[in-house]
Amino acid sequence: MSKAMLIDTTRCIGCRSCQVACKSWNCLPGVPAVFSEGSNPRYLSSNTYTRVIFREVVRPEGGMGWYFVKRQCMHCNDPACESVCPVGALRKNEDGPVTYDDSKCIGCRYCLMACPFQIPKYQWESAVPLVRKCTFCADRLAIGLSPACAATCPTQALLFGERSDLLTDARQRIEARPDKYVRHIYGETTVGGTSMLYLTTVPFEQLGLELRGLRTDLGDVPYGMHGRQWMGKVPFIALAVGGAALGLYKFNQRRDKVQQAGKEE
Amino acid sequence: MAGSKGVGLSRSILYTLVALGGMAGLTRLILGLGATTNLSDAYPWGLWISFDVLTGVALASGGFIMSAIIYVFNLKKYQPLLRPAKLSAFMGYLMFMVGLFLDLGLPWRIWHPMVMWNPQSILFEVSWCVMLYTTVLGLDILIFALERWRMERGVSFFRNIYVLLIVAGIMLSTLHQSSLGALYLLIPEKMSDIWATKAIGLLFFVSAIVGGLSVITLESLITARIYGRKPETGILSSLARAMAFMMLTYFAIKVADISIRGVTIWNMDATHLLFYLEMFTALILPILLLTLPKARNTTGGLLWCSSLAALWVVLTRFNVSLTAYAGYRQIDYFPSLVEITVTVALVALGILVYDLGAQYLPIYEPYRPTSRPIEASLPDA
Repeated sequence: MSKAMLIDTTRCIGCRSCQVACKSWNCLPGVPAVFSEGSNPRYLSSNTYTRVIFREVVRPEGGMGWYFVKRQCMHCNDPACESVCPVGALRKNEDGPVTYDDSKCIGCRYCLMACPFQIPKYQWESAVPLVRKCTFCADRLAIGLSPACAATCPTQALLFGERSDLLTDARQRIEARPDKYVRHIYGETTVGGTSMLYLTTVPFEQLGLELRGLRTDLGDVPYGMHGRQWMGKVPFIALAVGGAALGLYKFNQRRDKVQQAGKEE
Repeated sequence: MAGSKGVGLSRSILYTLVALGGMAGLTRLILGLGATTNLSDAYPWGLWISFDVLTGVALASGGFIMSAIIYVFNLKKYQPLLRPAKLSAFMGYLMFMVGLFLDLGLPWRIWHPMVMWNPQSILFEVSWCVMLYTTVLGLDILIFALERWRMERGVSFFRNIYVLLIVAGIMLSTLHQSSLGALYLLIPEKMSDIWATKAIGLLFFVSAIVGGLSVITLESLITARIYGRKPETGILSSLARAMAFMMLTYFAIKVADISIRGVTIWNMDATHLLFYLEMFTALILPILLLTLPKARNTTGGLLWCSSLAALWVVLTRFNVSLTAYAGYRQIDYFPSLVEITVTVALVALGILVYDLGAQYLPIYEPYRPTSRPIEASLPDA
């Protein structure tokens, strides 16, 4: 039942119409162009939910080649943002998207700290700021449409569908063209699995994405687990400390009474 | 009052700082976080979280520590330090509350965690503990006020539930002091190996105890001078031993942690230099000094050692919450004028609130009641 998106970077031509479609659908203002890496805008922000990262690296067969990797919220199966939010403003929906409730957020920004992909961004320029990030077009999904970026992609580099179907599809692609694809689907198990699944020609490690929000050292365990493990211990610590404090206090009181009685005799 | 001219001048300076901070805080509320602070998507948490929240709460742990020492560990000789410790804890949590209020993007929603629950969030637990514990401290101060204005019925009501306040205070403090460190359990991948450890909750708890003990000592020595009382050098000296012991415990845990995880700590970049400053200067130096009777038994020595210990607690919090990200973030962060002004003003506000409390509430003077003081509900008090 969970929707996902297969991002086949071998098909991406770097046209960035996904960026334009995202801005149009979400009514986001444009950002003045500062060309730094061949791609623009330079960073995701509360006004930019997705961007295509341009990387020029050595091809497997030798020589330089351009690779285009779209970045947006990964819509984790078990999101760190959802687990850290003290008011439950962030939520993983059953149909895939991780959405944010404007009316609950208190602005503590723990989600910005905790996201392993550094996706939530803050409206710093506003006096009434909210968190902003890709919504997986939850509003479009609700009326049976595919996400704006996938709908607009001219080369079918962005494939929207059921997560299980897309994984089967991805494996078939890898089997059919082992020369073209690395035998790894980024997002299949990363941090417990994400709704965004990536296929690449060059291993993720070699694409230089570590500081660009797509790390390869994140492991397969959801980050929320660390918090839940801690929270699992909290009731026992509370009982142990509270019980010990009360017990010792009562013990002291009793001993003092006995001592006092001894003195009076 | 001894040195009243200097004291008067200090008070005027403190009031000026609070006024400046009030203006800075107002600017922040009107113009927003982005316009007035140097926070960004790369540094969502800055000076206010590092100092006002993390450091403030750690340094204000004295209230629950004195309760534990006196009522749980039954060391009644420390009784004279209990009320000042509670007042300074209350002042610390008050500063923390104002700091957090300004730091939240939408501060008027600060009550949301009360009704919107997320039980898997450590921050949710911290907010509940802090809310409840600040209430406990508030009740402690209310009791002082009831005694001061001789409202006997109120005092006798709280006498009946006093044990609950003590136990709740110790339990809530243990939880949130360690959980504040546990907040960083979720972001090990962004932190320097030096500080990204599973033991961070325990380390925060132990260093918070040092924070509380150092502030109790400092506050006792400084107020003795200002209000012209005789400093409690005797019991403070025993307290300093306990503080050195806790610091040594921290050092042992940290060394074990670093060697078990096999972290290489020898490097000459800014991150490592700050780590050396934390471990060797601010931690080892006071431990070594406190082995000397001359440092332990004189007001000057105690003042130096507890200042160093407090500075060490500040460093531990800044290193975990800011330094640890230096290798990861591409952007540097330095707090803005508004952030610094607000933080300085909060410290000034804390001192002034303490000063007011010490003048008007039965903190030092042996309370001469028509009935017994609140502690008399307990044995041997």
